[in-house]
Amino acid sequence: MMEIGLNHYLILSTILFSIGLIGVMRRKNLLMLFFATEILLNSVNISFAAISHYYGDLTGQMFAFFVIAIAASEVAVGLGLLIVWHKRHNEIDLDLMSTMKG
Amino acid sequence: MLDNILSILVFFPAVAAILGFAVAKDSIRAYGVAVAFIEFALSLLLWFSFDSSVSGMQFMEMVPLVPSFGINYILGVDGISLFIVILASFFTMIGIASLGETKNVKNMIISLLFLQMTMAGVFVALDAIVFYVFWELSLVPMLYIIGAWGGPLRIYASVKFFLYTFTGSLVMLVGMLFMAYFYYQATGTWSFAFLEWYRLILPETFQLWLFGAFFIGFAIKVPMFPFHTWLPYAHGQAPTIGSVILAAILLKMGTYAFIRLSLPMFPDASVFFMFPIAIIAIIMIIYTAMVAYAQEDIKQVVAYSSISHMGVIILGTFALNVEGITGSIFLMIAHGVVSGALFLLVGVIYDRRHTKMMAEFGGLASVMPRYATIFGIMLMASVGLPLTINFVGEFLSLLGFYQQSHILTLLAGIAIIVGAIYMLAAYKKMFFGEVTKEENRNLPDVNKRELVALVPLVLITVWLGVYPKPLLEPISNSVESIVQLMHDKSISEEAKKRIPNINNEITIAKEAN
Amino acid sequence: MELLLYTALFAPLVGSLFAALFGASPKTLLTGVVTSLLLGVSLVASTILLVFVISSGQFVHVEMMTWITAGDLYIPFGFIVDQISVTMMMVVTLVSTVVHVYAIGYMDHDKGFNRFFSWLSAFVFSMMVLVMSDNFAGLFIGWEGVGLCSWGLIGFWYKKESATWAANEAFIMNRIADLGMLIGIFLIYWNTGTLQYHEAFAAMPALETATLVWIGIFLFVGAMGKSAQFPLHTWLADAMEGPTPVSALIHAATMVTAGVYLVVRSHELYALIPNVGLFIASLGTFVAIFAATMALVNRDIKRVIAYSTLSQLGYMFAAAGLGAYWVALFHLMAHAFFKALLFLGAGNVMHAMSDELDPFKMGALGKTMKGTMILMTLASVALAGIFPLAGFFSKDLILEVAFIDGHYIIYTVLLLTAGLTAFYSFRIIALIFHGEDRHTSLGFHPHEAYKFMLIAVTPLAILAVIAGALQGSYYEYVTLLLPSTEYHIHSSLVYWTMTIGTQLFVIASIIFAYKKYMSKSVKVPDGTSAMEKSFFYKLLINQYYIPYFYEEYLVKPYRELSTVFWKQVDQKIVDATVDSIANVIYHTGENTRNMQSGNLSTMLKWMVAGLVALLSLAVVFGLATRHSDEIMLILSGLGV
Repeated sequence: MMEIGLNHYLILSTILFSIGLIGVMRRKNLLMLFFATEILLNSVNISFAAISHYYGDLTGQMFAFFVIAIAASEVAVGLGLLIVWHKRHNEIDLDLMSTMKG
Repeated sequence: MLDNILSILVFFPAVAAILGFAVAKDSIRAYGVAVAFIEFALSLLLWFSFDSSVSGMQFMEMVPLVPSFGINYILGVDGISLFIVILASFFTMIGIASLGETKNVKNMIISLLFLQMTMAGVFVALDAIVFYVFWELSLVPMLYIIGAWGGPLRIYASVKFFLYTFTGSLVMLVGMLFMAYFYYQATGTWSFAFLEWYRLILPETFQLWLFGAFFIGFAIKVPMFPFHTWLPYAHGQAPTIGSVILAAILLKMGTYAFIRLSLPMFPDASVFFMFPIAIIAIIMIIYTAMVAYAQEDIKQVVAYSSISHMGVIILGTFALNVEGITGSIFLMIAHGVVSGALFLLVGVIYDRRHTKMMAEFGGLASVMPRYATIFGIMLMASVGLPLTINFVGEFLSLLGFYQQSHILTLLAGIAIIVGAIYMLAAYKKMFFGEVTKEENRNLPDVNKRELVALVPLVLITVWLGVYPKPLLEPISNSVESIVQLMHDKSISEEAKKRIPNINNEITIAKEAN
Repeated sequence: MELLLYTALFAPLVGSLFAALFGASPKTLLTGVVTSLLLGVSLVASTILLVFVISSGQFVHVEMMTWITAGDLYIPFGFIVDQISVTMMMVVTLVSTVVHVYAIGYMDHDKGFNRFFSWLSAFVFSMMVLVMSDNFAGLFIGWEGVGLCSWGLIGFWYKKESATWAANEAFIMNRIADLGMLIGIFLIYWNTGTLQYHEAFAAMPALETATLVWIGIFLFVGAMGKSAQFPLHTWLADAMEGPTPVSALIHAATMVTAGVYLVVRSHELYALIPNVGLFIASLGTFVAIFAATMALVNRDIKRVIAYSTLSQLGYMFAAAGLGAYWVALFHLMAHAFFKALLFLGAGNVMHAMSDELDPFKMGALGKTMKGTMILMTLASVALAGIFPLAGFFSKDLILEVAFIDGHYIIYTVLLLTAGLTAFYSFRIIALIFHGEDRHTSLGFHPHEAYKFMLIAVTPLAILAVIAGALQGSYYEYVTLLLPSTEYHIHSSLVYWTMTIGTQLFVIASIIFAYKKYMSKSVKVPDGTSAMEKSFFYKLLINQYYIPYFYEEYLVKPYRELSTVFWKQVDQKIVDATVDSIANVIYHTGENTRNMQSGNLSTMLKWMVAGLVALLSLAVVFGLATRHSDEIMLILSGLGV
């Protein structure tokens, strides 16, 4: 059987990152945008953990914890704002939210 | 008090302007005139105490500002700057005194007083950063004056004026910073003082680049072809007092800066660029005179004629000899007086008819004879009639440049022909012939308030045309020292040949005797 | 003596300033009287100075005050009364005084009476500065001053379009010439170090011939403008738009002679460059005949007299160019007297005929205007050069000069011109004063001028008659300064043949003129006669189409070029470039503004794009740094 080395994890991370990136670029629904953001963050977590295991340095895994915590709080705040917005405008399409036009 | 007279001259109007905010609207005119009069009296005191036989800086003051970089507050005046300072305060005084109907006159007078501070500051500053600060600050009151009291296109005109001049000045600032850096490399200390920069002899390539950088800044201010297109708009849209100050003083900042900075610091570059600049000057003279001839608006005629005269001034400056540079400085004063008067005269008719189109006039000489006479005198002065102030300046400038090139002086001398053409044509359109428009038939002649400004200008035009010596002497002395400095500093053969060696001539004369 | 000099110089200025005080007020006789009196004072002072200079042979030289000093340049206001300038002073003050008194009558009904005398006296002052200065800069002051005053006087009736146009033309044409003079002055300063006559001329023999030639040419260009030599001559005829006393003073006697004065004053220079002198003489001769031909057919009496002035100026330059400076000056003096007389007489005729100028509409005015007829005939006889009047002594002398020096072409042309001169002068005399009365039927009721005006011009008449007798004593004193070449033809036979031949030729022309124009068949030409349709007539009456040429090929193109420069170049090219730079910046801003769409999705896309770009850059640079040596190798292989 093939050895699962660092590269495999990094490739997985890259693939997940690009999926997240494409999701960020394409999604028009705010909720889906949050999903995509979560995917991005998690892909980075995977690569942090993999590299940290590869080097035997725990810093990476600690950092991953931070990332998880921050992601959670960010989603909490974001979902809260989303619900408020939905209550006011009854939809959460990104294209209709351009009041901060420059 | 005499020790700090320059600081007083610079800051007194500004302080008075700030206090002016507290003055009641009804007394603001009297307040303005009083402040301007005191300023003018102070400048006369300066002249009186000035020693004409000394060629260096007098009344110097120095206060350190940023010692680690050699930025100091240094002021000083010599024969070159003295008369422009006096002219500035003179024009502020008569300008405020003859202000016509103006809305928000309080703001206008306060702006003029601030402008007076910046003008005095530019001409007496001897430190590059201080010079630059005043140079740029002068744009702000002018921007406001044009933008608030101007004609229909005032915003466009004032923004164009500001941005165009400002961009040029930024290039100049870069040049100044480089210069300070070279000074640091050469001597190990930082300094932004002009007098210390004078002592630095730069290699030719550096001179060429720095000259170019400074040139951009000054050329836009003068204004030189092809950077002149902001001027007709600025003049066309500005109120009368704005045009007067702009033409009389602000334009002189550029030409003064050439003499104060470019010539002594970059003598080889000055010689190298002499002919191209002379060509530009000749284009300025002839081309703008022709454009002036084609104008339909009398104020634009005077605006383009300003550029034409600045061409002669530049030519005199780049004659690089005593006669030429003295002539160009004298012509600066002369042009200030005459152009200022011409703009005031245009203002007189504009106040009455609210139009500046010459087609709307015609036959005014029979309706307003005094006005026609004063306009005629100023016209002849502008055209360079001997015994008027302009002739002395033009004669000396052209005489000076003749030594550098015969042909170019001949071309530049066409100034006297083309000048006569557009001026006489304009005068004829406005004043001669029958009165064709009904509105012109009952126009009142010049009143006392307008005469307060015009009569002194006429008197100066004739007095200094007949007896220019009191001005020529100090100017000539200071210029001699600059030319000598240029000769001693120059490194290329061409420069040594073209810039006269004054001390040598004096010793030869002594030996001959 | 200095006091007299200052009196002679400044009296007219005082008069001018006095009259200027009344400039905008209606006519006050006082201004005319005071200015004339002050000119009389100047005349007296000049006469005393003349006597002094003649009797003692000395100069009077003052330096009044410094004017310009800069560097090595030193120009004072200095004045000198020597033989040349005192001659000019006499001529100027004498003619001016007569003209002032005459003008009191002539401008009687004019609203601008006071302004007129102010300008007139100012003009005399400028002319005095011109002739009395002891340096080229002072000369230039007077030079431009007379230009200014002639502008004011030609355009005096400023409501007339033609008058103001002529005034501008005169000023601008003079300015073109003044540029030449200015360059000449620069040359003199940079080569001799001074502008004082005495020192500059002393330094000139040491200069190279080429330099001297340039100085001579440029100074002469200046003279060409003032003295209306071809091609700067069109202003002189147009200048007749001004009041007739102006024509008398400026264009007959004083201003136009400034050019001759300049050449005479600079004789030391021109003696060193005889080739330039020959050119001046040839041009003068050409102008003499050129102007005479135009006067032959002209139908405006003042223009005819103007052309005759131009013609006589040509004679003066011919003499001066050939080195006969004292002869030129003498002719200048004699000409001043009879030409001014002629103009003032013509003024009387004009006034009588309500400003009508066509002699064909006059006729038989001799019956009502006996005095004027006698005066004008006298002046014309003098002009034609009949013995023993003044013209004979001065004009014939010029012919002799040309003959003696071997310039036979010049001699012939000048001789021919003398005949033409006599013809056209008497053509108008005949048309105006003799023949059939053509004016009454056209509604004119002429009357003679005021008695005091006729009396005022009698001094001129007397001088026109006797000036010839003064030639001897004049020669004595003026040649103390000027080269004293005597012009004598050695063979008596040749001399008498020449002289009598010339006289007969001239008298024949006069008789021919009388016959042609006194006959009963003369009527007002209306464009239908054969002569009027002929080519030569058209050529001459249109002044060889030169004014047309100037207007079409110089003035109009200049105006159009100016408009092109304004609208096409300045606005569309120069300004548009500036505005386009501003527009580029503005539009860049406008377009990049779209990035701030407020749409989170778009902004995220931009962010990703930016991220990719930066990452690629980082990778490329990283690779480049890592493999920099190989890259240098490749580049050097390519020869970079």
